[in-house]
Amino acid sequence: MELVLAFLCLLSFISLVLSVPGHHHGDNSTHHHDYCVLGAGPAGLQMGYFLSRSQRDYIILERNAGPGSFFQKYPRHRKLISINKIYTGRQNKEFNLRHDWNSLLSDRPDLLFQRVSRDLYPEADTYPLYLSMFESELGLKVKYRTDVGRIRASDLAGNKSYILTDQHGTDYKCRVLLVSTGLWVPEQVDFVGSDLVEGYESVSTDPEEYKDQAVLILGKGNSAFETAQSILGRASRIHLYSPSPVRLAWQTHYVGDLRAVNNELLDTYQLKSLDGLVEGGLEDIAIVRRRREEGKMRTGKKRPATSSDRKEQFYLTLSELLDGHDGNKGANITAENLPGYHDDNFSLRQPYDRVIRCLGFRFNFTIFDGLARLPHSTCARGRLPAVTAWYEGRGTSNLFILGTAAHSRDYRTSAGGFIHGFRYTVRAVHKVLEQRYHNNAWPATRLSTSQLLSWILKRVNEASGPYQMFGVLGDIILLQGAHCEYLEEFPVQALPHFSALSGRRISEHGLLVVVMQYGLNHTNTLGPGRAESEWTKAWKSNFLHPVIYYYPTLPTEKDMRQRPVGWPLPRPNAVHHMVEDFLTEWDQPISHSQPLRRFLEYCLKTDLRAFYAESCFRLSLTNHKPPLFCRQGYLNKEGFVGNSHLWQHAREAGLMPAHQGSVIPADDGLFSEYLPHAGAAVTSTIDFDL
Amino acid sequence: MCGISAVALLLCFISAQCGSPDASRLVEHTAQSFRDAVLSGKTSFIYFGKHVNPAIKAFIEQLEMSAHALEDYGIVVGKVNCSKDSVEKYCTGEEVMKKTYLFRGADVLRSFDIDTVFDVNAIVSHVLFSVLFTEVRYVHTPAELLAVERAAKGKMDIVMGHIQVLGLPEHRALMEAAFVYGAKYQFVQTTGAPLLKHLGVADPTSVQARLWFLHCRGVAHRSEPCPHTLMRKPLTTINIHTFLQLMEAPLLTEAAVDPDEVKVVYNHLNVPLLFLFTQSETLQLDRDTAESVARRLRGEVGVVLIHRDSHRVKTPLKHNAAYRLPQEEVRYFSLKKVEELIDLFREQLFQGTEEEEEEEEEEEEEEQDDRWSSLDVLDDEVAESVYRDRGVMLDTEAVTKLTAETFSAAVTQNGLMVVLFYVKWDAVCVAFLQSYVEVDDALDDVSGIELAYVDCGEWTVVCSDQNITSFPSVLLYRPSEVPQRYRGMLGTGSLHRFLLLSQVPSPTSLSSSAEVLSFLEGDLYNTNSALSPVRVLGLYSPADTDVVVFEEAAKSLRGETLLGLFVHEEAERWAEEHSVTLPALLVSRGPGILREAHSLHSSTPQELISYIQSTTLDPFPELTVENLPWYLELEKPLLLLFVGAEESTETDQSLKEIQKAQSTRQLDSSLPCWIHLGRTPAGRSVLEAYLGFVPPLPALVLSQLATGGEVFHFPPERPLLAGTIVQWLKRIDDGQEQPAGVVSDAVWGPPVPFYDFLAVMDEEAPGYAAQRSPKTKPGGKRGSERGQERNPAGRGETETAFNPQTPPAHTEL
Repeated sequence: MELVLAFLCLLSFISLVLSVPGHHHGDNSTHHHDYCVLGAGPAGLQMGYFLSRSQRDYIILERNAGPGSFFQKYPRHRKLISINKIYTGRQNKEFNLRHDWNSLLSDRPDLLFQRVSRDLYPEADTYPLYLSMFESELGLKVKYRTDVGRIRASDLAGNKSYILTDQHGTDYKCRVLLVSTGLWVPEQVDFVGSDLVEGYESVSTDPEEYKDQAVLILGKGNSAFETAQSILGRASRIHLYSPSPVRLAWQTHYVGDLRAVNNELLDTYQLKSLDGLVEGGLEDIAIVRRRREEGKMRTGKKRPATSSDRKEQFYLTLSELLDGHDGNKGANITAENLPGYHDDNFSLRQPYDRVIRCLGFRFNFTIFDGLARLPHSTCARGRLPAVTAWYEGRGTSNLFILGTAAHSRDYRTSAGGFIHGFRYTVRAVHKVLEQRYHNNAWPATRLSTSQLLSWILKRVNEASGPYQMFGVLGDIILLQGAHCEYLEEFPVQALPHFSALSGRRISEHGLLVVVMQYGLNHTNTLGPGRAESEWTKAWKSNFLHPVIYYYPTLPTEKDMRQRPVGWPLPRPNAVHHMVEDFLTEWDQPISHSQPLRRFLEYCLKTDLRAFYAESCFRLSLTNHKPPLFCRQGYLNKEGFVGNSHLWQHAREAGLMPAHQGSVIPADDGLFSEYLPHAGAAVTSTIDFDL
Repeated sequence: MCGISAVALLLCFISAQCGSPDASRLVEHTAQSFRDAVLSGKTSFIYFGKHVNPAIKAFIEQLEMSAHALEDYGIVVGKVNCSKDSVEKYCTGEEVMKKTYLFRGADVLRSFDIDTVFDVNAIVSHVLFSVLFTEVRYVHTPAELLAVERAAKGKMDIVMGHIQVLGLPEHRALMEAAFVYGAKYQFVQTTGAPLLKHLGVADPTSVQARLWFLHCRGVAHRSEPCPHTLMRKPLTTINIHTFLQLMEAPLLTEAAVDPDEVKVVYNHLNVPLLFLFTQSETLQLDRDTAESVARRLRGEVGVVLIHRDSHRVKTPLKHNAAYRLPQEEVRYFSLKKVEELIDLFREQLFQGTEEEEEEEEEEEEEEQDDRWSSLDVLDDEVAESVYRDRGVMLDTEAVTKLTAETFSAAVTQNGLMVVLFYVKWDAVCVAFLQSYVEVDDALDDVSGIELAYVDCGEWTVVCSDQNITSFPSVLLYRPSEVPQRYRGMLGTGSLHRFLLLSQVPSPTSLSSSAEVLSFLEGDLYNTNSALSPVRVLGLYSPADTDVVVFEEAAKSLRGETLLGLFVHEEAERWAEEHSVTLPALLVSRGPGILREAHSLHSSTPQELISYIQSTTLDPFPELTVENLPWYLELEKPLLLLFVGAEESTETDQSLKEIQKAQSTRQLDSSLPCWIHLGRTPAGRSVLEAYLGFVPPLPALVLSQLATGGEVFHFPPERPLLAGTIVQWLKRIDDGQEQPAGVVSDAVWGPPVPFYDFLAVMDEEAPGYAAQRSPKTKPGGKRGSERGQERNPAGRGETETAFNPQTPPAHTEL
């Protein structure tokens, strides 16, 4: 397969040579790689790790001098809001990743973020530090100070490859391009006076500079609140303005919404302490500048203007009110141009000393040229590129988007835009690459069907990928009768293309998909009835809980498109919700295990109960085909014997015939009730001398 | 023929006055006429009496009446006046004689106390029951009924009567029916409550006599149960007759005429008729509905499906159903739900049986309620027993608990390290941990073996590194060796024995003939003789390179079997002694027992392992819980002797007879084996499942488990001798023996009905689980910005409304 890849590379190279005659071929500044990773942020390094582990020809290109440069600057107030929970009371490494939002995935048990910070909300400077450590300890191939300014594609019979050009004119020819450049272009909205606005990226972080100032912040996300929170003790008045109301992360379960870490302003707003939130569109507003004395009636006496009088202030108005005025001219703003003139109790009628834009970031589309051009996703106001369910750019084959930029798949629903989410999608993409370019099928664990229940419980109780990437990554179980194959963390939206992406076949027994999901969220997040404890009502669970879907055949694209509103997957033949658990431990016999077992029994059309060896003995002699547990255990000479104490319980429960297990005590040693098995022949008490 | 005569006979009962009523049919015998009657070979029921007191007088009256009734069955009723004619044996004794006798020819079938046969009904029922003794099966337990059902499946239907007290009119009615229909149906009589429960009667104590029809004839698959229909009318001869006719009638009749003109068997039987209408478009659907209605009303109402498409059907379209009660006009109505129909018949039209119905319906409702609450009861015997133990903390301190930090050091230390990998949510794991601790206790004083365990729920990386995909797993670690997976029974005894045997090197290299002898005789490693009396020796000439195959195989069998290896010039001599050629295998089953020898042919280690395993199998094993899987692998019919817990000479004798038969090689097509019900109590359930009851022990059974699934029972009255066994097996081969039972070929499906979340969603939140229609735009619902509707300066419609006169009403949250 490596050969195929090399061959394709060669072909694409030739085609490039043909199509770009003016190109300096033969130039020794051209590098060839199977995989180019653009950007050495968390996503780029994460992919680098997987490529390095599978010993692929790859290079990570980074324009800055170190990894994760975004974190050198952002968040501006230097506190990460990603949870770094070190003490979970558990030793399970996989489980602990559920509460570690900063570490990247690797096979080094000690290469965790907790090595650089012990804080629950760590200092932002520690993140580049962690990334450097990750890069160097794993020996990842990163080329720093390589600023790729242009990306072109060459297309040979529909097979695209990519040419990257850096600031020195060096070309990188890449069979597969993995774009992990993140989002770093500040999002701006064009309105009259938008040039008068300071940006989050450059605003002062010194609270003293805001002393007694009225501040208008455009935006209601985490960066807006972070900015507001830092000046809360100095500013006189802080108003937050944006189209949508605040979405609270603890209500929506979306970590991109306002986190409680930053929400002190909600307090001061609701307690009427001069701060507030206002909803309104951004495109049609105007920010105008007006000196204090402007509009004052001239009394004739001209007093020398004090510095404070002179100070310019900003008003929020609407572009329509300016009557063709160019707000920037500033000089002729009259009272009629302001909303307060028309509406005496207009909320934002008072002037502001500063207006700050905190509207988030967008993907840098500009470096992609021609065939490499990336389409915009319809969500998130086009700030993100559109990608397929397996994170390949739409229309740009062999170009994958990783990291925050790939968030369009689960924007405002799951964690794909955040480190603790995309570290798993990167791993999933790597498995897709391994299958597509190297014919290594998606790794699968082969299990006896009688072990399936136990294995699902293991996964739902520890797996971090489906837990963080709820509704997006799910475990796939390929049912094959007596056995099944267990595939971890497949992007469930890509199910219609499962066979091509994973290299695995669906048998006539169908498949199960295990995903984690939040519920309908129709109830008050903190109100009564917010949690469900009855397993028969598990489908009404509000908190994250495992859901298992059963499909006899793969769903089609159409099924996927028409899936029920709010569902991650189409209506299956059968579905099982495991009731939400306060401790997120789904291992209890009555509420979790047995209902799941019965669901599996329905899907597999077989009895999955466990039996003592003695019961299997009886069932094996009286049934043509005893239950699966007996067939896979007992008849395989690995039956489970139990002891008289347990049998007693089973008899009392009426699950075992009364006389069973009641062995007549013999006197030949310690384990008299256990007769030697066949391999050891039989010691009979009866004399066979003939 | 039979049917016609039956009807005639029954009509005779209905008119109740066949022949002249006055003429007494009671024969007054003289001693001579009694002798003649007996010699004629007829069945006769005779009372011998001397004195007449009022009680006897009343009895004689009843006897006279019964003479009339029993005449129809060819039974002559008579009396002998002992004071006139003394008949020896019968006329001697007390002054007042209280016995009657039923003769068949000269033989007395039964004698009855006249208190038992107190009236005409009692006489008729008891006499008929005695006469029909071989035809009417008397069953008491569900298992016995199942055995009868099994035999009847695909052959004939079963009529089962439940009689609380023998001798009452209901009993007589059942016996009369049995007499008439005995050739057609298998009649079953029961008095027991267990069977009622089995048939779904909630409170057996309140139940009067009842009759069920078990539709076994149409059951093709022997694992399917026979569906049954309850007769909902009192047990009288005429009701039974009608009921059986109804059972014979087709479930659903189809007609193409108006209800008035429909002629079906039901008309003669005075049974209500229900008419449902259909047209060709909906025929299949209507037919299904009609069939399900018919099934529910079976035995009470005849259902006719009328094809409207026929020009002869003039019923207006507004009616879609009609019914006709016996001797009444057809009444039309229109029906919306099937339930209404059932209600109509059950509650309105059959007022008489209403009470009983209600009772049953309540029961059904309760069942519905219980259905899901019972889902919270654990139905897995292992899970339940572990759950019942939840208050008990298992003391696992003696066993080392390994962690990621301690694991690698622990498994590389000297000696044998045994590691159990478990998860706490798996009931089998938790239960096995108990056995594991027991093994650890038992090995306390054994040096060189240490037991430890890993919680895979916590140390997930340790377990995945060891490729554990099945819980529980036991792995054996020895320094610088590949871990060996324990592949034996997960039980205290098996693991304990395996670990002790594992201490013996495998193979044990023997260096001299003396050592070989000592090995084979069990002197070498004699402490292990109790654990494994079987010893296997590989004999190889020093030049043979195949010895590595043996060594490889022996390594895998370590812990399972004691294996010796003798690579020596003298191996030749050992081989010759046992008349085999080198390389060879000697199997010793203990001192003094004839050793078996096999020549080996070159093969792979895996083949050699299977070969060694097969040679160590006992030719006539006692089947136990632990060894059964080895023998089932042979896939031979089991010639199984069930022996009781008590020692008896009969048992010893039977075992010897089977061995004798085996030694003639006439049992080779099957595997002769035995089960000791004392040591293996589950054997009792097996025997009961095979035969429907537990016969006297020892009991010999041929179970064709892998082939055909039939079970034959060696007739207990026949002597269990080598010769008779061989004969019996031959008769089975020739198809001359009737199977006594079958091995179930039922598929082990889900044990409880499925709790369908989708159905619950559809009911409680319609549309929630429904696929979107293609028209609605996908993805539109998610992430909508709810604030935008109230955004004045924002978009679309509000934008135009904005002007200086209506300034923007900025809203606060």
